[in-house]
Amino acid sequence: MLTYIIRRILIIVPMAVAVSFLIYLGLDLTPGDAVSHMLDPTRTVDPEKLAELRHALGLDSPLIVRYWIWLTGVLQGHFGYTLTGGVPISSLLVDRLPATLELSGTALILSTILGSILGTISALRRGSATDNVLTVVGMIGVSIPEFFFGLVAIVVFALNLNWLPVGGRLLPSYDSYWDHIPNLIMPALVLSIMMTAGVMRYARSSMLDALSREFIKTARSKGLPEWRVNLLHGFRVALTPVIVLVGFRLPILIGGSVIVEQVFQWPGLGNLFVSAVRNKDLPVVMTIALLSVVLVLTVSLIIDVLTAVIDPRVRLGA
Amino acid sequence: MRMLKATAVALLLQTALMGTVYAQALNGNPMSDVRVRQAIAYAIDKDTIIATVLGGYAVRADGLLPNGPFKSPNLDPYPFNPDKARELLKQAGWDSSRTLEMVFYYDDQVTANLMTVLQAELADVGITMNYHLLVGDVAKTLNSIPDDPKGKSVVTWDLGYGARAAIAMQEYFNDYATGKASADGFPGSPELDGLIADSNSSTDPEVTKKALMSIDEYINKNALTIPLYYQQLYAVESNRLNRNGEPHGNDQFNYDWNIQNWTVEPDADGKKVMYTNAAPVDYFEEPWVNLGLWAGNKMIWAHMLSAKPFMDGVAEGDLADTYKVSDDGKTVTFTMRDGTTWQDGEPITTDDVVWSLETALKVPTLHGVLANTFNSIEGAADFVAGTAPHISGISVDGKTITIKFAKVDPNVLLSFTQWGPLPKKYFEGVDPTLLQQAPFWQKPVGSGPFMVEEAKFGDFTSFVPFDGYWKGKAKIDQIIAWASGDGDANMVKNAAAHRIDFAITKAVNDLETLKTLDFMKLTPLDIPYTRMIWINQYDK
Repeated sequence: MLTYIIRRILIIVPMAVAVSFLIYLGLDLTPGDAVSHMLDPTRTVDPEKLAELRHALGLDSPLIVRYWIWLTGVLQGHFGYTLTGGVPISSLLVDRLPATLELSGTALILSTILGSILGTISALRRGSATDNVLTVVGMIGVSIPEFFFGLVAIVVFALNLNWLPVGGRLLPSYDSYWDHIPNLIMPALVLSIMMTAGVMRYARSSMLDALSREFIKTARSKGLPEWRVNLLHGFRVALTPVIVLVGFRLPILIGGSVIVEQVFQWPGLGNLFVSAVRNKDLPVVMTIALLSVVLVLTVSLIIDVLTAVIDPRVRLGA
Repeated sequence: MRMLKATAVALLLQTALMGTVYAQALNGNPMSDVRVRQAIAYAIDKDTIIATVLGGYAVRADGLLPNGPFKSPNLDPYPFNPDKARELLKQAGWDSSRTLEMVFYYDDQVTANLMTVLQAELADVGITMNYHLLVGDVAKTLNSIPDDPKGKSVVTWDLGYGARAAIAMQEYFNDYATGKASADGFPGSPELDGLIADSNSSTDPEVTKKALMSIDEYINKNALTIPLYYQQLYAVESNRLNRNGEPHGNDQFNYDWNIQNWTVEPDADGKKVMYTNAAPVDYFEEPWVNLGLWAGNKMIWAHMLSAKPFMDGVAEGDLADTYKVSDDGKTVTFTMRDGTTWQDGEPITTDDVVWSLETALKVPTLHGVLANTFNSIEGAADFVAGTAPHISGISVDGKTITIKFAKVDPNVLLSFTQWGPLPKKYFEGVDPTLLQQAPFWQKPVGSGPFMVEEAKFGDFTSFVPFDGYWKGKAKIDQIIAWASGDGDANMVKNAAAHRIDFAITKAVNDLETLKTLDFMKLTPLDIPYTRMIWINQYDK
C-alpha cells in the first residue's frame, strides 16, 4: 500500500501542473483581460496608457511566459498579487479561507452525520412511514435550489422572527469567535440541507444494497444480534460509497459554495472566485483553482486508501 | 418661367430647412440613411417601455441632454408612429431580409426585457433585429472605429444600447467628433465638429449652453443616436437618518453633501451608528476613476473645491480656501486653506497637490473630464512625454498654487470640485501607472469627514469621524458599510432588516420592493444619465 501511496503522490504533481495549464489556457482564450474589465465601457481611454498598464501588469507577455512566471512563483510559495488592486493573494487567502472553511466545514460535518444516520434509518425501515417521509424530504432537499432555501430562511428567521442576522460574517462589535456563531447558523444549515439530502439518498441505497448481501444473511444465521448485523456488518460496507460522495465534496472547502455565500453575503473564497473570474484576475482564479485541483487529487487518494481500509475486498495497486 | 423659379426657390428652401439631413444612404450601410434611423426612432414606443419595462422609474428622453436648463425646445420627440416608420423604410428602400445586430453590456433582467420589446417593436415595422450581451473587452467592441472615417466599419454591430452618465454636458457630445473612437457610430461631419469645438472653447456658460443645445438639435434632427429615457437615481434613506437640511444631489459624483452634519437615532447603547453599503470588496478604489460613485470614497476624501448638489457650479472652497479664474479663463489660482491635515495628522501641503496633479496625468484610468482639464495645463504634454521633469504651467508661491492652461477648458472648476490630492509620502517609489495597485488602498489615509477604522474586505468597512476635518467633527459616531459592488444585490434585504440607513440605487426591481418598507424613504434624483441606442453608420 505504501508504494501505491507514494506513486499516487508523485502523480499528483504533474497532474496538477497539467490541469492548471489547461485552466490558464481556457481563461486566456476568453475575450478581454483584467485591464478591459477595469474600464467603463462607454469611456474611451488613451490606448497608449492602457498599453502601459498592460505592460506594467505583465499582460502583454506571451501566454507561456505568463504561465511560467505564475507557476514558478507558486512553487516558491509566492501566489502573486491581484491584477485589479495589487493585493497579495496570500493575504486574500488568509482573509477568506477561514470564512469558507467555517461555513463549508460545518455544513459538511452536519450533512455527513445527519445524512448517514437518516439514510440508515430509512433503509432499516424500508417501506415504513418513516422511510416514505424521509424519502420525500430527501427528494425535496435535492430538488429545491440553495438560493430558494436561503431566501426563505432569511424571510422567516431573520426578517419575520428576527432570530438570526440577515447576512454577513463579522461586525466591529464582535469581540470573540462565539459572537459570530449566529451569523453562521443560517448559511451553514441551508448549505447542509442539500448536502444532507444527497448523503441520505446515497446512504439509504447503499445500506439497502449491503443488507441484501450474502454476508449479512450469514451473520444473521450465526445468531448475531440485529443491531450488530446492521451496524457492524451492514453499515460498515454501506459507508464506502458515502465516503466517496463526501470525499468528492471536500473541494467546496476551498471553492466554497458560491450561491450560499452570495445569498448570505458570506465573505468566502466562493465569492472571491466569482468576482475574480468576472474581472479576469488570473492570478486569483489560478490560485483558487490550483488549491481545488490539489485537494481533489489528494482526496481521491485518501478515498482510495480509506475504501481499502473499510472494505477488505479492495486491494490497492492490484 | 416664374413657375420654374418658384419651384426652384421652394426646392432650395426645402433643402435649406433640411439642414444636413440627407435623405439617402451615404455609404454601403443602410443605417447611414437618415430615413432608416428616423424610422427606428418612430418605431419605438418609449412611453410604454417606461411604464412597463421600467416600472415608471424613468423619464422619457427626446434629446441626449437632460431636462432642465440645457434642454432645447426645438427637439423632434419622434412620437411612436409605426405607420410613419414603415413609410420611411419604404422610401429608403429598406431590405426586409436584412437583420440588424443589437449589442448591450448590462446583464440584468430589465435590459433583457427591454431587448425583447425593442425586437418586437422593430419587427412590427419590418426590421429584423437580433441582440446579444457583450462580454470580454466591451470597450474595444463598442468604441473601435476605422482609421479613415469613410472606411469600413471595424465592428459588426449595427445598434448598441448603452448609457452616458455625464458630469459635464460636453461629455455627451465630445465623442461625436470626427475620428474620435467611441460607440456613437457616427463618422463625423464638419458642421458637428464646429459645434463641438464651440461647446469646449468658452468659459461663458451662455455660449457653451447655446452650442450644446445646437449639438443636441443636430443629433436629434439627423437621428444620429436615439435617446430612450433618463434614468433616475434614488436616494434610499431610513427614518432613523436625518440629513438636517443638507441637500440631496447627484450622488454619482462629489458634491457638498455635508455628511458631517447628518445624524441618526442612537442605538440601545446610545451610539449613533449609520449603516450603508458600497464598501470595498478587495481594496479601496482610487478616487480619480469613478468620481464620487462610492460612498466610502466620498467620506474619506476632501477636494480642492465643493460642487453644488447637481454640479451646477462651485458651492465653496474645500481644501482650497479661495480660488480665482482669470478673465481669459486660462489661469486658475488656488489659495490653500490653513490648518488642513491628512487623517494621520500631517499637514496637507502644496507639494501634495502638485505631486498629485502630476501623478494624475500618468494614471491610465483617470476620469475623462479630469484628463481633459489636466492635459490642458501648459507643459502637460511635455511632462507626460517625459521631456520635462515637471508641468511648467504649475507654480507655487507660499500657500498659493497657480495653474496656467494652454487652452480654455470650460469645466476647469468642475474638475477641481471632483478632484483632491493624495498624501504624497505614502506613494514613494510607486509607479503612477500602477497607482491602484499600491498597498495604500488597503487602508487609505484621507482628508474627508470620516476615516477608515477597520476594513474587513468582502464583509464590511467601519468609518469613524476624523476629528481634524476642517468643517468640524461629524455628528455620527460610526458608519458601517456593507461590502458590495455597483448595484448591490443585497441592498433590499439589508434595508428590510434595518441594516441600511443610506444608499443609492437605479435598480427598478429594488425600488418596487423598497416602496413597501414604510420605514424607508425614496427620493428621486434627476441626474444627467441618458440611456440611448447608438447607430453604427460606418460603411459596411
